[in-house]
Amino acid sequence: MKQETPEKTMRKTILSSLILIPIIPFILIIAIGYVGSRISIENRTVESMQRIVEDHRQMIDTFLRERRTNLEFVINTHQYEYLSKGRNLDSVYHNLRTISNAFVDLGVFDEEGLHVAYHGPYQLEGKIYKDEPWFKEVMETGMHISDVFLGFRDYPHFIIAVKKEENDRSWVLRATIDTHIFNTMVGRIRIGETGEAYIINREGLFQTQPRTGGDLLEKDPARAMYLRSHEGVKTYTGTRDFIREFGWFFGPTNPGIQDYLVATTWLKEKDWLLVARQEKRDAFSGLSATMYLIGAISIIGTAGIVFIAFNQTGRLLNRIREVSGEKATLENQLIHATRLAELGQMAAGFAHEINNPLQIIRSEYALVDFILKEMKEKREITNEEALEELEDSIRQIIVQVERCSGITQAILKFGRHSEPQIEDIELSGFIPEITETISNKASVNGISIKQIIDEKTPPVRADKGQLQQVLLNLFNNAIDAIVDRHGSQGGKLSVSAKPSDDAWIDIAVQDNGPGISPENIDKIFSPFFTTKAPGKGTGLGLSVCYGIVENLGGKMTVSSQPGRGTTFTIRLPASG
Amino acid sequence: MHTQHAEYWITNMKLLIVDDEERFLQSTKKLLDRKGFDVRTAPGGEECLEILEKERIDVVVLDIKMPGIGGMESLKRIKRRHPTIEVIMLTGHGTGEYAVDALIWGAADFLLKPISMPELIAKVEEAVARRHVLEEKIRLARAIKAESDESEPDKSVNNENRKE
Repeated sequence: MKQETPEKTMRKTILSSLILIPIIPFILIIAIGYVGSRISIENRTVESMQRIVEDHRQMIDTFLRERRTNLEFVINTHQYEYLSKGRNLDSVYHNLRTISNAFVDLGVFDEEGLHVAYHGPYQLEGKIYKDEPWFKEVMETGMHISDVFLGFRDYPHFIIAVKKEENDRSWVLRATIDTHIFNTMVGRIRIGETGEAYIINREGLFQTQPRTGGDLLEKDPARAMYLRSHEGVKTYTGTRDFIREFGWFFGPTNPGIQDYLVATTWLKEKDWLLVARQEKRDAFSGLSATMYLIGAISIIGTAGIVFIAFNQTGRLLNRIREVSGEKATLENQLIHATRLAELGQMAAGFAHEINNPLQIIRSEYALVDFILKEMKEKREITNEEALEELEDSIRQIIVQVERCSGITQAILKFGRHSEPQIEDIELSGFIPEITETISNKASVNGISIKQIIDEKTPPVRADKGQLQQVLLNLFNNAIDAIVDRHGSQGGKLSVSAKPSDDAWIDIAVQDNGPGISPENIDKIFSPFFTTKAPGKGTGLGLSVCYGIVENLGGKMTVSSQPGRGTTFTIRLPASG
Repeated sequence: MHTQHAEYWITNMKLLIVDDEERFLQSTKKLLDRKGFDVRTAPGGEECLEILEKERIDVVVLDIKMPGIGGMESLKRIKRRHPTIEVIMLTGHGTGEYAVDALIWGAADFLLKPISMPELIAKVEEAVARRHVLEEKIRLARAIKAESDESEPDKSVNNENRKE
């Protein structure tokens, strides 16, 4: 399995928090806004639906009541004998037709259910209706509005019948209502594009034809839901599941019962249920617009959050990378400094031990030298040539011992941890004193010395002797470097001092020597590192300087451009 | 009398070199013997102190890092017992704390190994001269005292008694 790099993990963490933290409240606000506007739109839609349905019911009730009243008027203003004569009935029918063309026919029945007189498109006279439920009911209650039925005519219709008690007998006047006209009237409802209205009876059979299908007297598939007794207008908004809710988004589908906003109300004139319904996507079209708006805001907002998150993550990671880099550099420097200190102590130990054998060599040399001289004086050695070679060889012993002893002395200085005597040193006086001591050597080599000491430079906190040692070392190195490149002409050595900020002072020693190659610049402060010829340098000078400056609480750095020159900078604490 | 004394000091300077490096003792003794010094050697602090009990030594050249009684401890004991003996410290461990301590305890010099023989000899001769001056001073002081004691014999007797 591939291991994720820490940076990738960090990137994921930062990215997910930068995205999640703003996006959660954002989604909450969007959701609350959506729910709020949805509730308000739904309530408004439902209320308006209820109002329309209530108005519609009143109109239908009025129609039925008027038709009944028409018949009651006729039955109350005419005698049975009069109306049972076909001619008279015809004229009454025509009068009624002038009031409402919904009357299809008109018939008179005696109390035995015999169809005595009839005006209309069918031949119904002489038929016996005694056992028909409507007849029974009208005889009992005095009035009846039937459900739609087929009857003898085998054609869907409904009737209104009224009874009159006259002297010792009763009779019935019955009219058939044009289902087409009724149908049109009920169906004519203005609710959006998909709104429709129809009537079902107690059994759930269609009493008028719904616009969206279903024949008269068929059972309404949704009857189970609507057929309840209730006062006023009852609405059904259906369930709210996601697919139905956002169905409009996925394209058109055949609407089911659940896709309708439904309002029902019972008529007052007849136990019929008026059902009005509208497809929800039509009813709540205001909601869709809101949804589009909210969707757009969500997408733009989310995209914005994600964009900012990616952007910020990139910047954060870059910053973290920079800081880690700085940390690594600091750690390296610390390790380097620690190593230098350890190396210094170890070297001091070696130096001490080497001093003893060196001392013996010196003693032996002195003895040999002394004896040789004695023998020479006494003329005990006659081979002049051999004697000379011997003397030269012996001299070399002491030269090499001197060299070793120079190295051990330098090592011991390097490893020494004596407490510096810190005092305030005024650089404007101190630096010229030191440059004075090298001015001869510089002028002999044709080197011009420039001193730039900023007037605002405060005194530096350091040990005079140590600072002198460091500067002299740097000057001598610089002169060696310059001579190496320019010979005895065109050398430039500059020393400058200026405050670097409130607490520090920078002293820079710059030469126009050959510079230091990049592969050497890292090792320049390491003990025993030298580019000088064997025997010319111990390789300890700069590392001693480095140690001294560190010990003074300062920093020593080098920058060099090969072919242009080198600058050593000492940063020391300022006084005060 | 004076001249006799001076010659005595130059020709009969007794030098004790204390070092745990056998070969250093050998070669240095040989050389210094040839230069006319009377040289004794000791490989450690104990031997050094033993010799000082038995013989009259003028100058001690003392190493610091030695097994047994080290150089610094030896210095203290020598100076306590024989305050006029000149002690030159010679060490490979030239650290400041030793140098200051050695001078406080009365060392005449603090030299760092490796030192060249002519330099060492010069330092030894300086020490011998100082020792000579000091001895001379003491001798003269005693002589003056003796003369005055002769005129006042009572006091002299008292002094003698006190010494013993």
